[in-house]
Amino acid sequence: MKMRAHTINGGKAEGEAVVYNGPFSFLGDLDPATGKVPVPRHPLEGKSLANKVFVFTTGKGSSGGDFAAWAAKKNGNAPAAIICLESEPVLSGSVIVTGIPAVDRPEGNIFELIKSGDYVKVDATEGLIEISTK
Amino acid sequence: MLLTDEEKRMIDGAYGPGTKRAMELLVKYGESFDAEKFASISYGHISYDFCPEEFWDLMTERVSRTQHRVTTHPSYSPEVWKQWGLPLADNWAGEHQRKLKRFLELGWLRTETCAEYLLGITPRKGDIVSMGGSCMQVANNSLFGARVDRMGILISLAAAVCGRTPLMGLLLPENRYASHLVELDDLDVTNWTLSHYHCLGYYIGDQIPGFKPVAVNGLPPNVPFDFARALVISMPTSGAVTLAHIVGTTPEASTLEEALGSKKPEHVLRVGKREMKKTWEKLNVWDSDVVEHVAFGCPHATIDEIGRIANHLEGKKLKTSMLIGASAPVEALARRQGWADIIEKAGGHFQSVCPSITNPFTRRDIAGEKQAKSAATNSARCAHYLATVCRVKVFFGTEEECVKAAITGKWKGELPK
Repeated sequence: MKMRAHTINGGKAEGEAVVYNGPFSFLGDLDPATGKVPVPRHPLEGKSLANKVFVFTTGKGSSGGDFAAWAAKKNGNAPAAIICLESEPVLSGSVIVTGIPAVDRPEGNIFELIKSGDYVKVDATEGLIEISTK
Repeated sequence: MLLTDEEKRMIDGAYGPGTKRAMELLVKYGESFDAEKFASISYGHISYDFCPEEFWDLMTERVSRTQHRVTTHPSYSPEVWKQWGLPLADNWAGEHQRKLKRFLELGWLRTETCAEYLLGITPRKGDIVSMGGSCMQVANNSLFGARVDRMGILISLAAAVCGRTPLMGLLLPENRYASHLVELDDLDVTNWTLSHYHCLGYYIGDQIPGFKPVAVNGLPPNVPFDFARALVISMPTSGAVTLAHIVGTTPEASTLEEALGSKKPEHVLRVGKREMKKTWEKLNVWDSDVVEHVAFGCPHATIDEIGRIANHLEGKKLKTSMLIGASAPVEALARRQGWADIIEKAGGHFQSVCPSITNPFTRRDIAGEKQAKSAATNSARCAHYLATVCRVKVFFGTEEECVKAAITGKWKGELPK
């Protein structure tokens, strides 16, 4: 299944989807040393986001999200691509600075149509999402 | 984006490769938000220590001294950490020194604080400021009426280099009215402490989607500065709120109608005792009651906070380590008052570092095997980052409870009534 979305940062990537119906910060919600979510009692606690297509609602938290994203990317522990409902400046700055393909404002309901474990291709330059159900 | 001749010269490389790269990045960033042009900044605020060195070098390569003022966020002090006996301090020294040298060459100011308004560096209402540091973004926007958009630390360096920021988001007056209204239900704020305002702000930030401006209604008029600050700065920790009007207190919210731009709010959030209690519980992440460290000064402490802590610590000895995040000028004033001495004699420390994200006592990569495994704080923002970035057990409570914990080494905090 294919879906259109708005480009935040161009590029192409694909991988297994991790879906979280909530906001995300690169600083605090992703351990750059392991690629895992370290937050106590978080629904994704202990799950890896490294090289995944990470689907969530929007950015949040400290403006240090971008340097944390930079560290994760250098360590090979950043998500391969990002799909969110609507971005905000810290999240957009993070993916632009680190070169992570990212889209927002998808035309379909991503939380209905994408499940964790699905295989997702993101062509962020063209603003295209392609979902292969698990 | 539509560029002026000067901005075109920047992107064409007339001012060297650093400015060129910074401008290219700002254009890409602005265009992703459909910004049409840039605004000149009154001043810029960056963080050299939080900036990866590779990125710092790329952005500052052959940049000349800027005409506009640039200030900086809390910094590292590896040489002091070494004096404190923290085993991995040396690992931080080289990069810090190299970036600091370049920072000073650029003629930039070593304010090294997340609370510059305490140093008299205060934007006027309507001033456009580009800055990293979500807690000073929301404070300058909300408490002083400056025009500050949400922005990351790395983008803020690009903006400081060029003296430009994309004209978008909260820089545009029409985007500054609150779309989300917070109403207080059964809360009696008469005996509230700083921690209560932190807790309320943390809850609100968590509940507001994206970075929609918020109006908080129902607090007494002219909420004291420290309380108003605690309320607004906690919001971009759990969420992304970057402008929070406090009706009857902040400059763009003398009335509810002014805060809302005479429109109906998109959403009304009600907060009562139940939400306060649940949030307070959520901020506490611990199993045993043993406290190894106490962190104050998130955001950087006011002189009044330091005075109160000193008052509690006169003639006492601490069982835990204690760090008070404070800017050098505020620390200097505390020293003149005799308060810094009292706190240091008890075993506490001052530093213009971030006591949350890079607290040297709770960071494994600074303190090594001396890392404190549990820490108490009266700041929701600090509690959040101690738990998630430093990965230690966290006690959240009032200033008084935290001081007691520092003296006894045990946590006896209570939930709000």
